[in-house]
Amino acid sequence: MNARLRRKAGLAFVAPAALFLAAIVVFPLGHAFWTSLHRVRGLNATFIGIGNYARLADDATFWHSLGVSFAFTASAVALHLSIGLALALVVNELRTARTALRIVFLTPWMVAPAVGATIWLWLLEPQFGVINYLLRVAGAITAPVAWLGEPGTALASVIAVDVWRGVPFVMLLMLAGLQTIPLDQYEAASIDGAGAWTRFRFVTWPNLRYLVIVATTLDVINTIRHYDIIGVMTGGGPAGATEVLPALIYNTAFRGNRLGEAAAIGVALLGIVLVLAVVYVRTARLDDDRTVR
Amino acid sequence: MKRHSPGRVAALWTIALVAAAVMLFPFYWMLNTSLKPASEIFASPPTFVSAQWSLDAYRTIFETRAIGRYFVNSLIVAVGSTALSVVLASLAAYGLTRFFPRGATPFVMFLLFTKMLPETLLIIPYFRLMSDVGLLDTHLALILAYSSFALPFSVWMLIGFFRSIPREIDEAAQMDGASVLQTFGRVILPLARPGLVAVALFTFLIAWNSYVWALVLTTDSSMFVLSVGIANMVGEYRVQWNELMAAAVIAAVPVMVLYSLLERHLVSAITAGAVKG
Repeated sequence: MNARLRRKAGLAFVAPAALFLAAIVVFPLGHAFWTSLHRVRGLNATFIGIGNYARLADDATFWHSLGVSFAFTASAVALHLSIGLALALVVNELRTARTALRIVFLTPWMVAPAVGATIWLWLLEPQFGVINYLLRVAGAITAPVAWLGEPGTALASVIAVDVWRGVPFVMLLMLAGLQTIPLDQYEAASIDGAGAWTRFRFVTWPNLRYLVIVATTLDVINTIRHYDIIGVMTGGGPAGATEVLPALIYNTAFRGNRLGEAAAIGVALLGIVLVLAVVYVRTARLDDDRTVR
Repeated sequence: MKRHSPGRVAALWTIALVAAAVMLFPFYWMLNTSLKPASEIFASPPTFVSAQWSLDAYRTIFETRAIGRYFVNSLIVAVGSTALSVVLASLAAYGLTRFFPRGATPFVMFLLFTKMLPETLLIIPYFRLMSDVGLLDTHLALILAYSSFALPFSVWMLIGFFRSIPREIDEAAQMDGASVLQTFGRVILPLARPGLVAVALFTFLIAWNSYVWALVLTTDSSMFVLSVGIANMVGEYRVQWNELMAAAVIAAVPVMVLYSLLERHLVSAITAGAVKG
């Protein structure tokens, strides 16, 4: 086949996906940016330049929401990583039932977040929920706690649910990473008389460090964008205590009907994600074939 | 591998089982509640194993609520998205690896970029777009949206699979007189089957589990998917928890079954990217 024909054939293969993404992702993205420069009232859009962004800059709600997003993301990611790594280390040491355990541990991750959140609403129900019952029996609380009714406990609760949902994926990545570490390194360390901690410190950790950075960045990107759990459990309340940026965007657009402002918040969130994405791409070096180091 | 003392093995198993119990308890409680009669839901203390387990809650949600309809909607949307995404992704991945090997990396970068967009940002224009072309409250609107989320990752994953199939196989097929399309369809695709299964499963899970898009794009309750139908039951004045948990079981079981059967495919495909880098 000559070069021109090959090119044409190649384009015919790639074009459907490229056009599809252009129509379903790129065009809406451009449109969102355009919307962010307008004041939208029903079908009327008035161009106001950076008006929406200027307003965000001294909008207390936006800054509050940004703070909630950081608190939510930082705590959830730290817990995903530490618990996920710990569980991966444990499962990796077990010689039997590893596949069964992996399936069990992954269950929270494969069920829809909205459905998982619904189950947790029932677990956390103040009067009849089983969590309050168990805590009372254990003597940890004396009166029922309205977990989602108070700002402090509401944020902690949605973080806990996100941890429950997010640990499995990190564990999976870490488990895959652990399995690439050459066994002779452990053997050598054991011969030198290294204990469990020393082996972790000088064999496991150096081998896994790169993967931990990749997993952290990926997890931050996914967590900071996540809406479903908060959408179902609190909708951002009480009093904005759990109103992370995605929830603020949703509420501004579809409850407040202020599409222009919502789009501007969305673009701000996209900016944050993009910075993180650059970190990710730099770290992951997606174009070369190196394995975990 | 190194030998462990029995004490150490016991300690490891204890940690693993306690963690598994915590992970699975919500699902146990979902199932347990769904099997209780309404009168027992508000019993104090709550019953961990009811003496009167029954399927009444399931019967009720199928008879008095549109749960069957939601299930069918979820299924149509998930299968449709899977089909569309697998076709587009395999074509693109084949085209990139065979005809533009050097163009693959920039395209993949672009794909990863689209994968990182916040969904609540894209919903705003997508909602307008769909309402302009009259696709609100249709399965198609959701199928297009979910395919677009799954596509980037699917193409990325399949590029890896197609790269591992030697070019000589294509060349041999074409020597034997096969056209480009025949080479792709009859020779390469069957070889990439594990990859296609992983991509299909991945897309199905995304579409089945997605919530906020369906929430925005459907207003007619006959078009609700399971996740939206279930979340809506939460907002009711008096929540019937046994019915709600029965609905949750119906939403959760299909993905659990699919996933357990095909775990190996999906896990290796998803971790490959991050681990290999």
